[in-house]
Amino acid sequence: MEKEPAGECRDFMTGNEVIARAALAAGADFMFGYPITPQNEIMHHWRRLAPQQGRGFLQTEDELSAGFAAIGAIISGKAAFSATAGPGTVLFQEPLSMAEMMRLPVVVAVQQRGGPSTATVIYSQQELTLTCFGGNGEGLRLVYSTSSHQELYDYTIKAFHKAWRYRFPTFILGDGYQAKMREALQLYDPVRRGIGDIPKEAIFGSVRAGETEPLLHLRNSFSVEEELSEVLERHLADYARAAPALVEHEFIGVPGGELLVVAHGIVGRAARQAVQELRGMGRPVNFFRPITLRPFPEDALREALQMSGGAVLVAESAQGQLGNLVRLAASGEGLPDFRSYYRPGVGITAEEIKEAVLDERALDAAVLAPGE
Amino acid sequence: MGRRKIIASGEGGQGVQALAETLARAAHNAGLSALYIPNFGIEQRGGVSLAFVQVADGPIGAPKFLTADLVVALSPRSLRRSEQYLGSHSVVLYDSSLIEAPQISDEVVGLQSYETIAPEAFAEKTGYRERQGAVETGSRRVIALAASDLARQRLHPRVFNMIILGAIVSITGVVTLEQVKEALEEKLDRRFRKDPRLREHNFAALELGAAAIDEKIREGAHR
Repeated sequence: MEKEPAGECRDFMTGNEVIARAALAAGADFMFGYPITPQNEIMHHWRRLAPQQGRGFLQTEDELSAGFAAIGAIISGKAAFSATAGPGTVLFQEPLSMAEMMRLPVVVAVQQRGGPSTATVIYSQQELTLTCFGGNGEGLRLVYSTSSHQELYDYTIKAFHKAWRYRFPTFILGDGYQAKMREALQLYDPVRRGIGDIPKEAIFGSVRAGETEPLLHLRNSFSVEEELSEVLERHLADYARAAPALVEHEFIGVPGGELLVVAHGIVGRAARQAVQELRGMGRPVNFFRPITLRPFPEDALREALQMSGGAVLVAESAQGQLGNLVRLAASGEGLPDFRSYYRPGVGITAEEIKEAVLDERALDAAVLAPGE
Repeated sequence: MGRRKIIASGEGGQGVQALAETLARAAHNAGLSALYIPNFGIEQRGGVSLAFVQVADGPIGAPKFLTADLVVALSPRSLRRSEQYLGSHSVVLYDSSLIEAPQISDEVVGLQSYETIAPEAFAEKTGYRERQGAVETGSRRVIALAASDLARQRLHPRVFNMIILGAIVSITGVVTLEQVKEALEEKLDRRFRKDPRLREHNFAALELGAAAIDEKIREGAHR
């Protein structure tokens, strides 16, 4: 066996443990949390490991408190984070809106469960819209949708870095499957890999180098409309400027594809497998997986659509939450052939996506047959 | 080896998740890709507990699947629950000491039924000789193992799931017993050190389960 690089090891664990380990490796200082399945083990592992390294944990009385406490710690220059799911994500929206307004780099891992309300503790992809646009604002957030334990680790570390660099609330959007399943990943020390430390600083009372305006004056309430508008326009411009550097996606395909299968998160994994099998059968089916859901990789999607003749199949464990983002990104281009495989609250296997692709095609063939 | 898909099911508290996790961990340690996911719900005990395990020599896609190569059912309820994962090539391993002959729907698995053909006959029919080939023969087979009885009579009721795990190792051949033992050492390190008898019991149970399947295979092959 090859020797592992310094500070690295390969391990086999649950996604919840991966997130706790990644936050620790990233150099996060404090976790504030309130229990909810299926994210509880993030708290458990953090609580077990963090004190050994001088990091803190506080279980608050509810999600609102966890969010606001994290905000308080962040203002004082601590890299604080939380984790939640389902109805907890709903409750989190109030502190998250404040973080959005005040440009505070709070990091939250969301392990989606079934909804609405309590629904199931198991799995879904129904918190996409809530995570991207849940506040009473414009959704100035950064949302990473992961599809493997390696990505959970990589993007949790990245979330802290991007949050502090760009000062937008940042999310790792996982789900109950990713939370509870076990698979292998490479653990590493981001400093030794050259990723470095979280670029954190005390926000309260600070003036950042190169900033013309001190961030000292953090406001979340305004007395006049124009005053708010001015601040929001600045934030929106910052977001638009940052977006090209933030968007990430995965694409497998070639020009002249017959169809583009789009999926995110764990369903992206099923879709990738289905597409690879279909390509093995000689079908030129392409695959697109947005990794950032907010900002959405619109240009890359449009390009992928062009390579696929404008035919798209969106598969998700929700009723069109990703589908809407795809439609929006493609608007202007037009979507001559839009199909969906929506299974809200239920897992999707590679077999099902393959079948959905082949069924549609079989129908097309039947329609074409009489004219031959 | 491609990709092997295994469903383990039983009553909550029977140790289904522990055996599934151990199997996946052993495969991971052996340098294979492994993915294990429990089907969890609200209930902590008393419900049907289901685990999905995949072992492959390449990347693994979705964590769940529609058709299993091997379905392990440790209670009648769990068999009913996991029937949906049976395909024409699936093998069924069930604990015959806890449950009566399973009523597997003909609609789902074609000819497969415990009543019509005993596992040994299946083995003979498919020319099934080596344990490595057990899942690959494409046969529809039902294997009964009185694991609970064996555990009670020979070892300890608590190691019942390790007898089943030993049997799974023998049927699938995806990992060796030694690799499973190492995975157990890793997982139960502290408890093993505290009580070495626990190690003995667990390891003996693994051996017992594997030997019981090997015996069935030999009987089948010599018929």
